[in-house]
Amino acid sequence: MNQFQYVRPTKQKAAIDALAKDANAQFIAGGTNLLDLMKRGVIASQKLIDINRLPLTKIESQNGSLRIGALALNGPVAEDRLVLERQPLLAQALSAGASAQLRNMATVGGNMLQRTRCPYFYDTAMPCNKREPGTGCGALEGINRMHAIFGFSDKCIAVHPSDMSVALVALDATVLVSGPKGDRRIPFNDFHRLPGDTPQKDTNLEQGELITAVEIPDAPFTKHVSYYKVRERASYAFALVSAAAALELDGTTIKSARLAMGGVAHKPWRLTAAEQVLVGKPATEETFRQAAEVAMQGAKAFKHNAYKLKLGPNTIIQALKTAAAA
Amino acid sequence: MKTPEKQIGARMNRVDGRQKVTGAATYSAEYQLPGITYAVLVGSTITKGRITSIDTKAAERAPGVLAVITHFNSPKVPGFDTAGKDPSQPATVGGPIKVFKDDKIRFNDQPIAIVVADSLERARFAAGLVKGQYAQEKHQTSLEAAKSQAFLPTSAKKNPKHPMNDYQRGQVDAYKTGAIKLESEYVVPTEVHQPMELQAITAHWEAPDRLTIYDKTQGTMATRRDFAREWGLPEENVKVIATYVGGAFGNALHSWQHESAAIIAARVVNRPVKLMLTREQMFTMVGYRPYTWQKLGMSATPDGKITAITHEAIGQTSTFEEFTESTLAQTRMMYESPNLTTRYRIASLDVNSPIWMRGPGEATGAFALESAMDEMAHLLNIDPLEFRLRNYTEQDPEKNRPWSSKFLKECYQLGAERVGWNKRQLKPGSLRDGDWLIGYGMGVGTFGAHRGSSKANIRLLPNGTVLLQSAVTDIGPGTATAMTQIAADTLGLAPEKIKFELGNSNFAQAPTQGGSAIVNTVGPAVQEACLALKEKLRTLAASSNAAFASAKKEDVVFAEGYLTLNGNPAARVPFADLLQQVDGGFVTVESKPQGNASKNYSMYSFSVHFAEVRVHALTGEVRVSKLVSCADAGTIVNEKTAGNQMKGGAVGGIGMALMEHAIIDDRFGRYITKDFADYHVPVHADSPDVQVAFVNKPDPYVNALGTKGIGEIAIIGVAPAIANAIFNATGKRIRELPITPDKLLV
Amino acid sequence: MADDNPEINLSEAGGSHNEARRTFLKQSSLLTAMTFAPGPIVQAAAAQFDEKVAAAFEKVPLKLEVNGVKHKLSVEPRTTLLDLLREQLHLTGTKKGCDYGQCGACTVHVDGNRINSCLTLAVMQEGRKITTIEGLANGDNLHPMQEAFLKHDGFQCGYCTPGQIMSAVACIREGHANSEGEIREFMSGNICRCGAYSNIVAAIQEVKNGGQKV
Repeated sequence: MNQFQYVRPTKQKAAIDALAKDANAQFIAGGTNLLDLMKRGVIASQKLIDINRLPLTKIESQNGSLRIGALALNGPVAEDRLVLERQPLLAQALSAGASAQLRNMATVGGNMLQRTRCPYFYDTAMPCNKREPGTGCGALEGINRMHAIFGFSDKCIAVHPSDMSVALVALDATVLVSGPKGDRRIPFNDFHRLPGDTPQKDTNLEQGELITAVEIPDAPFTKHVSYYKVRERASYAFALVSAAAALELDGTTIKSARLAMGGVAHKPWRLTAAEQVLVGKPATEETFRQAAEVAMQGAKAFKHNAYKLKLGPNTIIQALKTAAAA
Repeated sequence: MKTPEKQIGARMNRVDGRQKVTGAATYSAEYQLPGITYAVLVGSTITKGRITSIDTKAAERAPGVLAVITHFNSPKVPGFDTAGKDPSQPATVGGPIKVFKDDKIRFNDQPIAIVVADSLERARFAAGLVKGQYAQEKHQTSLEAAKSQAFLPTSAKKNPKHPMNDYQRGQVDAYKTGAIKLESEYVVPTEVHQPMELQAITAHWEAPDRLTIYDKTQGTMATRRDFAREWGLPEENVKVIATYVGGAFGNALHSWQHESAAIIAARVVNRPVKLMLTREQMFTMVGYRPYTWQKLGMSATPDGKITAITHEAIGQTSTFEEFTESTLAQTRMMYESPNLTTRYRIASLDVNSPIWMRGPGEATGAFALESAMDEMAHLLNIDPLEFRLRNYTEQDPEKNRPWSSKFLKECYQLGAERVGWNKRQLKPGSLRDGDWLIGYGMGVGTFGAHRGSSKANIRLLPNGTVLLQSAVTDIGPGTATAMTQIAADTLGLAPEKIKFELGNSNFAQAPTQGGSAIVNTVGPAVQEACLALKEKLRTLAASSNAAFASAKKEDVVFAEGYLTLNGNPAARVPFADLLQQVDGGFVTVESKPQGNASKNYSMYSFSVHFAEVRVHALTGEVRVSKLVSCADAGTIVNEKTAGNQMKGGAVGGIGMALMEHAIIDDRFGRYITKDFADYHVPVHADSPDVQVAFVNKPDPYVNALGTKGIGEIAIIGVAPAIANAIFNATGKRIRELPITPDKLLV
Repeated sequence: MADDNPEINLSEAGGSHNEARRTFLKQSSLLTAMTFAPGPIVQAAAAQFDEKVAAAFEKVPLKLEVNGVKHKLSVEPRTTLLDLLREQLHLTGTKKGCDYGQCGACTVHVDGNRINSCLTLAVMQEGRKITTIEGLANGDNLHPMQEAFLKHDGFQCGYCTPGQIMSAVACIREGHANSEGEIREFMSGNICRCGAYSNIVAAIQEVKNGGQKV
């Protein structure tokens, strides 16, 4: 790990100012991904701005939404009474991620900003356009069983590894950011971006911007929800494919639905067309199958990840079945 | 006088447990030496070729850096010129590659430089600044692509009696003409030991000709021999300490380049050097289970008698070493088959050398054999347990001689009851619980009950306790605990009065820990040392005490501070008196296998594993819901620690069956699985409450203790048990490990 | 020097350590600190610091409490809590198993919560109370979890054990030890390659069911 300056501001403005004036500076919150990457020389920040002492940890009920501070920790959020009551899908997604120890370190803001787990990104001796633009995508013709089936480009086929973000995009959350130019609100689906020609950029955050909170609008998804994550071992692994499903049921009829997938694209993958298939239909496996089919439209596999074309819809069906039965 | 309870067989807690649960146990990177420095290795980023230059300037200038050593400036290591040239000496000193000796790159991440600094952070940073330039050559890292160049190992070519030669009884490839036959190909991919402790060494030149290393090794004496030879030193000038070894599973069976590099670095900076590999380097620098392709053909009669088996295997090795393992051994002796053929080949790739990984080749071979047994049973519509019973061997069909002991049928019975084998349905896909398909499978394992020679030091201390010493290591099975129990029973002394010290090359000679042979080998030495001490004390007592002069050896009893006689409480001699007569030094005893038992009998441990699995019908997720492992391993010295070893092997088998898979991107020759996020090993949630049962009957021939060994049979046969259960649940036969969800969805 | 002499010839390596050290100091004393701004990996190396100036610049003060002992330290910001514990405070009970938060061997408690000490900078823990395996027992009296690990043989090689025990204590304190399945899920961040999982779970269940204060 390179040497760097370390500052620990206690005021939000000081933190933003510190970042805005230094292109090679970076915020550090939980550090669970940043330090990992710095140890391997993937990232070499000149200055780390420790934001852990900023007062951004509150979870509070607002008029019509739940607001979760960006520095609230993943573990405590997953077990927060308000979250469990009002957004149990988020709680499930958080609990499916990482380990108890990491969830005690990782923050909500940091979780959104975690980098891909593509092995080519992690190895400085391999080509990767995300790490070093212009070097090529190692995965495109390489070992790509973990990679994207939606929204990729010829520059990058990596997937976003966050579980939490899959729930948040399904729940129509909004990311609150504060920067040198003031505050702004970013709809969750616009927060992460597709790789296109600039895979080095994971999100639409601008230089100097700090995530302060995430807001989740109140919705009737308090019971019939499921975050179903398929991985290569029973716990403590990134998803092959995951699905977040939330249903509002009227008897056995689906009144409204939310659906998103993880492990399939450069961003958490919202499935609005599939949601529309569900609305007004009975909550049966046949309905879920129809929705899953729509969800997979446009999917394209590479050499090693064709299984995702089958695992994807099956995971959606399983998540919907579990949600309906909850 | 109360005789202490029998300790062999008791569920005694580990004698070193307190150190391990308090954090006081000291592993090889944890010795606080004055002036300690930190080293980090830099690996090659190409797979094959030559180093044209190495830019070390930036690293040398970085704060705190004490040395940057490459093949351009590495000091002369005397043994590098002679090692391997003397045919009477083993060639392996860190493998045949000498670190920093020349410009040749033979595998990706081969060490090209070592950076030493005054702090770990500084060393790691500076290591990142070292840049090699290379002239690349075309490489090959895929066994599938190199299969056609596979060859018979040289050791077999040179010696027709070598077990790696082709084997046959009856007709060659007779299965091909069988009425009911199968022919299947199997793949066990590269798996990596990945013990929790990163490989580490602290090297300290205490004088220009005296080297002490605190090293992660399974054999302190072998490591001492290697580095004494490497530096042209008498063996007594090299001391190897490995008091605690944080797991190894085979990867510390011989010395590696990083150890040589740390010793060179300590020489150069003239201070102690600590080197701990990174988890990435654990994939490239300290061995692995080789990718192995197998083909198995089998024929049988309709009533379930095997008529022929042909089992072929091709395993990978490096370009500079011919690594071999006993992949086909179990096939030759496990089942009656009048016609049997085995062919073993290896293929050279531009990779580092493999090293035996737990249950080594036998575990690989058992995946093919035990899967094929299940396939044939299915073909014949016979219960797989019944099929195995119909082909049970009452004597060794390979060597045509009796088993020293074999209680595998008892194991079958114990395991089948515990797993609920009667619930198993012959027709796959018959049992279901909601979305989960349920299946049962079994797999058999065997491993030679090896016993070598060993010594033990023993000494009576003034406080009435007995100190035993052995150079043996304990990589986890609880060696010191078992030895303490053996000594306690032999001496008739409470275990608290016995101290067993290990992990130091200055102690009594002992073999490298591996091959399930330690209790078999060191146990008898401890036993005989205890008898020798007793005899010595009895002789001494006899010289001053008439009762002892006429007493039988077995009546001598250790009591609180006294030597006494069974049935004669009046006869007592204080230890203090005896100690005045002895010099207080050690009695050293050597124990060797006696007689012709190993020629007259085939000696094996046996195990069977029964698995119940649940497979998700939609997602292909597999959960092992029950795992029962039963072993015929002779006398069980400590059921608690032995049971733990069995459970651990079963968990290793879950990893092998369901998730472990080290993958190289052959375009670069570089691993893309580099850490525990990419290379999955089982976590708590993957493990059921593993059930273990031992037959616990002594073997009459292996040694006087009746032990046969546990470490390997704990894993051999587990992966096929799980694969067979998956077939029973789903009807899908997966012949390439690991069985990840994607394979079950196709 | 003759080849058979056990005294090794170091001339090819540029002399003994002391010589090397002197050469290094001579080189570095010719250079003055050009800049105080450390750069990314390569730039940082190009900047040529005088050792003392560099050392003063690199380190920042840090106060924290470890196992009830208050420490006033001076550390490089890049030092992780794990490396601080092991290499500077010599508390080697906390283990390095991967250094990437993927194994749990480095688990410690910070203000009572379990974390991976390899993935946090020591300076980020300013003012916090750290408990390591060495601080778990009460003098000679082992913590109930340590006793249970002994009794149930919840380990083999012992390397993951401190992390398992610290995690197990937290698992009960958090209320995540109510069933075998829950224990397995919430202990999954602690890998045991020896595979002693069944015994570890038995140990945790015993402590949990025993109702002792953890």
